[in-house]
Amino acid sequence: MSNQVLERKQDSAPGAARCPNEPTTQEIIARDKVAAPGWVRSESYEYMGDEDISIDRYIDPAYARKEFDNLWPRTWQFACREEHIPEVGDYYVYDIGRRSFIVTRVAEDDIRAYYNTCLHRGTKLRASGTEGSTSQFKCPFHGWSWNLDGTLNEVVCEWDFPHVNPAEYSLPQVRVELLGGFVFINMDRDAPTLAEYLGPEFMAHIKAWKLEDRYVTCHVYKTIPANWKLNMEAFMEAYHVMETHPQVAVSNADANSQYDTYGEHVNRFISSLGVLSPHLRGQYTEQDVLDQFTIGDSSMLGGEDRKLKEGETARQRMADIMREMFERGTNTDLSHVSDAELLDCFSYTLFPNTFLFPGISLPMVYRFRPHPTDHRQSIYEVMFLRPLPQDGSRPEPAEPVYLREGQSFTEAEGMDPGFGAILDQDTENLLLQQEGLEASAKPGITLGNYQEIRVRHFERAVDRYVEAGA
Amino acid sequence: MSNEFTRFCKLAEVPPGGKKALRINDTWVLVCNTRERLLAVSGICSHQARPLFNGRVRNCKITCPVHGARFDLETGQALDLPATKPIPVYEVRVVDDWIEVCV
Repeated sequence: MSNQVLERKQDSAPGAARCPNEPTTQEIIARDKVAAPGWVRSESYEYMGDEDISIDRYIDPAYARKEFDNLWPRTWQFACREEHIPEVGDYYVYDIGRRSFIVTRVAEDDIRAYYNTCLHRGTKLRASGTEGSTSQFKCPFHGWSWNLDGTLNEVVCEWDFPHVNPAEYSLPQVRVELLGGFVFINMDRDAPTLAEYLGPEFMAHIKAWKLEDRYVTCHVYKTIPANWKLNMEAFMEAYHVMETHPQVAVSNADANSQYDTYGEHVNRFISSLGVLSPHLRGQYTEQDVLDQFTIGDSSMLGGEDRKLKEGETARQRMADIMREMFERGTNTDLSHVSDAELLDCFSYTLFPNTFLFPGISLPMVYRFRPHPTDHRQSIYEVMFLRPLPQDGSRPEPAEPVYLREGQSFTEAEGMDPGFGAILDQDTENLLLQQEGLEASAKPGITLGNYQEIRVRHFERAVDRYVEAGA
Repeated sequence: MSNEFTRFCKLAEVPPGGKKALRINDTWVLVCNTRERLLAVSGICSHQARPLFNGRVRNCKITCPVHGARFDLETGQALDLPATKPIPVYEVRVVDDWIEVCV
């Protein structure tokens, strides 16, 4: 009797229901040998209503134009990592839609981002997708040039331009802020600081991860046949694991993952690994769970003894194995890192288009950008960020790999095959979803209160920016 | 172009991450040590015939410092506007601690 009563009480408050009869993520993590830090052991969920969300945002090209007018020019997005522009004179061209910026290291501690347009007759100063090093930006058309600091260097045939006041012809800049080794830009001169935008709670989390001490070991681009927001939302919940990634479900607490929101621009989930999915309760043993563990960089886990001792959990054994293998493989000291940080999938969204995965087993970054002219396509990137070698050297960031449409993620050099297969499974659903929405009689999508809160939270922010300009 | 290799410089003068430009007869040659390989290309950009020497080399690609065109150091292929034509590439070998180039 008491279980039923408890469940009814629990379900009465909207958004309060959780996966029945299963440990919560916090309960799973509390059993670990090496305890997790504060940023893992906290919760931050707020019910946000249960109305459907309108689908015009995914299928109407006019909505995409509004995003280019009102959302992309007023939000913080990362252009590159500091390691892409390590020396004075280095630059990296970042594009969003039709906008293009030359992100430049002007001095050791001074990075600026200029609009990539000659102030004479508008030629792009540096081609999109390029990076390099220079002492000045010279236009290939008539030779006007600018210094690294953005001030005008030379107007060819200056005598013909008495109306050009050099002081007014510096390259226009956008806001730049550095965080965790990322170079963020914002086209809105009046935007809040990045710290204000992301909020104090998240700022404490990212400080703990020290992402500035990592480097890019793998960087993959793929054009996805779906709206950028659909692309992002495919990764905002573990609810889809059972149906889309059944091979993972055997060792993933999918339906009892934890979901949190922080302010306007940040949300996350924690999805624990090394434990059985609630959907499969009773069908597999702890040994099965250990044997099926596939998440993460399994290239580091070859040949270990995987027979569990009496009373030992799969999760604890995986944490122990991973700790040892990663220490050896990456030549770093992980004694201060918790079992949860080693094993679990932590997925954060930074509005509008960045995902950070600060865990050790899946140390990734995702970036999503809309195709400049087609709302039905998006540019998806995956980067793996690994700890720097202990000797203090910094390898060069990996060269991006561009996959063709229809090409498997497993074909990207440096991509773990198990993880590449997971990404293929996600993207296979996306085209069907884009087309399904375009064929829909129903004008909205329906979202789960708890497991799909990140989707709702994200779209609320999208609405606020897009409507603000209306 | 002959089939003969000419001495370029001592191997020690082009350490990993380094590069060196020299004139062999009438040809500017740039040798780069990138990704544990020695690659030799023309030292002059195919876009407007300006020197490539100070271009940044990364992942077997070089970016011209003048207008930012990039070239693949293995094939000489132009990768970005404003360049559209390739630059010549040359065979490199090491003999007795000397880098030799076939121009």
